Amino acid sequence: MILRILTLLLAALVIGCAPLLLDDGQLSLGMEMLVTFVICAMWNVLAGYGGLVSLGHQAWFGIGGYAVFIASNALNVNPLWLLPLAALVPALIALVLTPLLFRLKDAYFAIGSWVLAEVFYILVQRSDALGGITGMPLFTGGMLGASIYAQVFWVAGGLALAVLVLSYLVLRSGFGLGLMSVRDNEVAAASIGVNVRRNRRLVYAVSAAGVGLAGAVYLIPNYFIQPGIAFSADWTVIMTFVVVIGGIGTLEGPILGTLIYFAIRQGVTDGLGLSGSWYLVALGALAVATMLMAPKGLWPILRDRLHLDWLSVRRPWPGRPDRAPHHQAPAE
Amino acid sequence: MSQDVPVLQVSGLRKSFGAITVARDLDLEIRQGECVGVIGPNGAGKSSVFSLIAGVLAADGGRVILDGTDVTRLPAHRRVHHGIGRAFQIPQPFAGLTVYENVLSAACSGAGLRGSAASDWACEVLERTGLARRADTLAGALMLLDRKNLEVAKAVATRAKLLMLDEIGAGLTEREVAFLIERIAALKQDHAIIWIEHIAHALKAVADRIVVLNFGEKVADGPFDAVMSSAVVREIYMGLKEEAGHAA
Ligand SMILES: Nc1ncnc2c1ncn2[C@@H]1O[C@H](COP(=O)(O)OP(=O)(O)OP(=O)(O)O)[C@@H](O)[C@H]1O
Ligand SMILES: [Mg+2]
Repeated sequence: MILRILTLLLAALVIGCAPLLLDDGQLSLGMEMLVTFVICAMWNVLAGYGGLVSLGHQAWFGIGGYAVFIASNALNVNPLWLLPLAALVPALIALVLTPLLFRLKDAYFAIGSWVLAEVFYILVQRSDALGGITGMPLFTGGMLGASIYAQVFWVAGGLALAVLVLSYLVLRSGFGLGLMSVRDNEVAAASIGVNVRRNRRLVYAVSAAGVGLAGAVYLIPNYFIQPGIAFSADWTVIMTFVVVIGGIGTLEGPILGTLIYFAIRQGVTDGLGLSGSWYLVALGALAVATMLMAPKGLWPILRDRLHLDWLSVRRPWPGRPDRAPHHQAPAE
Repeated sequence: MSQDVPVLQVSGLRKSFGAITVARDLDLEIRQGECVGVIGPNGAGKSSVFSLIAGVLAADGGRVILDGTDVTRLPAHRRVHHGIGRAFQIPQPFAGLTVYENVLSAACSGAGLRGSAASDWACEVLERTGLARRADTLAGALMLLDRKNLEVAKAVATRAKLLMLDEIGAGLTEREVAFLIERIAALKQDHAIIWIEHIAHALKAVADRIVVLNFGEKVADGPFDAVMSSAVVREIYMGLKEEAGHAA
């Protein structure tokens, strides 16, 4: 526990001081990394712990962004103060839609969530009030002043740490255990008293809220929002690839996956000079290789090699204190 | 809970899947401290009746009353909170969780316990069900006997008033069945039990009463010997009669 808290404090310190040392370009990249971690972590909570594979999570990214842009322009208020809307609006829409969406199981749920995201994308694209396909500016962007990159970086850092800490605490709770029970077996979970529906609705709404926040934080410094970017399917592609590579159903997986993703992106784009989406192709290739050779992702391998147990939410049996908890061979 | 209110009272329960009827105006009553054995040929609808009582399957009609509360309209998880615990015929472990976490999950969600109260209770259930030595094993990696034990452990951990056990002895060796009989006799102290089982001598040893189901109908209900020697059981259930003779 001490180690976890120390690491957390160190991370907070690094994020807090980074803007003093880095230039705007570096801060922007840092912010992007933090935002990427957040969306991947939220997708992982849903898929890896809740058993719901969403292929339409870009919807919440875009909705979070549009919610803040619209409200900030309308109220003429600093967009950062309106960030709670980027969580609330997606969460509420998610809660309203789940009764319908949850009628679909497994692969159908995945497809249904994707269709839903397309519907939002098309609706926004067709809306003249929102600027249609060209999008709309953030008139209040100037309120953030010259230190906008530092501010957004800090917000992204705070969000990333909050997501990590809250995921850990929630997954260690009875609710988290119920969630993982539902993931493993719905009927059996209901048969030990888990409210399967409520459990899943809650985690879906929280996941949507986190992605919405990340979307707004990412889009604000652009001073402009465009449906093609805000609702880009690339976001979900990144979430799935990063989580699969890093390790689905582990809290460390999205951290590792995000680092690998940016290493590949910088390597392919700057190193090899390949522009466009080539880095996504490389990422996809790595994801496929991971699925074939290490289906649980890279973190579990690293963890077992290095005997690390940093953010495991496993509850060791307290029955016999003399026996050290250990990791079991994975069940097939 | 008063002594004279039955733990479970089922009346007029009906359910069919097209042409197959799994419950035909079924009445059933289980009293405090009672262990009722359920037998019937394969496909008679025994497991389906459990699903109906548990609320996993929606009935076409009838009522289910648990300890005086009408739970007919409640979903499965709420019925657990009213005291139903079920061990499935085909074990349904939470494969990605350890044995301890499986039981802890039932203690949290089913019995409504938290923190050390939940973990203490989970540990106690593991000791009682002989699973303590497997506590840190992933449930998906268990052998059949331990999977069956885990089914019972999860049901017990919800603090169920009524345990519904579905063929938890199937596939076990004679020695293992002997252990099982002891364990169920011990569980009778704290739970009313309804136990579907094909192993006749096990039922004879612990069941106070035997109910025979056939095509969703209750065709006999009474003490073991009387039911087993009844004409109707002989007719539909010759196989078990012979098995009982061997085992005795
Ligand atoms: N969901 C369902 N849809 C359609 N038919 C079903 C369904 N569930 C069960 N059945 C049918 O209902 C009948 C009763 O099944 P059930 O599992 O309740 O029998 P059982 O008495 O438990 O048998 P066994 O001794 O083999 O476990 C079977 O013919 C089965 O195929
Ligand atoms: Mg059955």
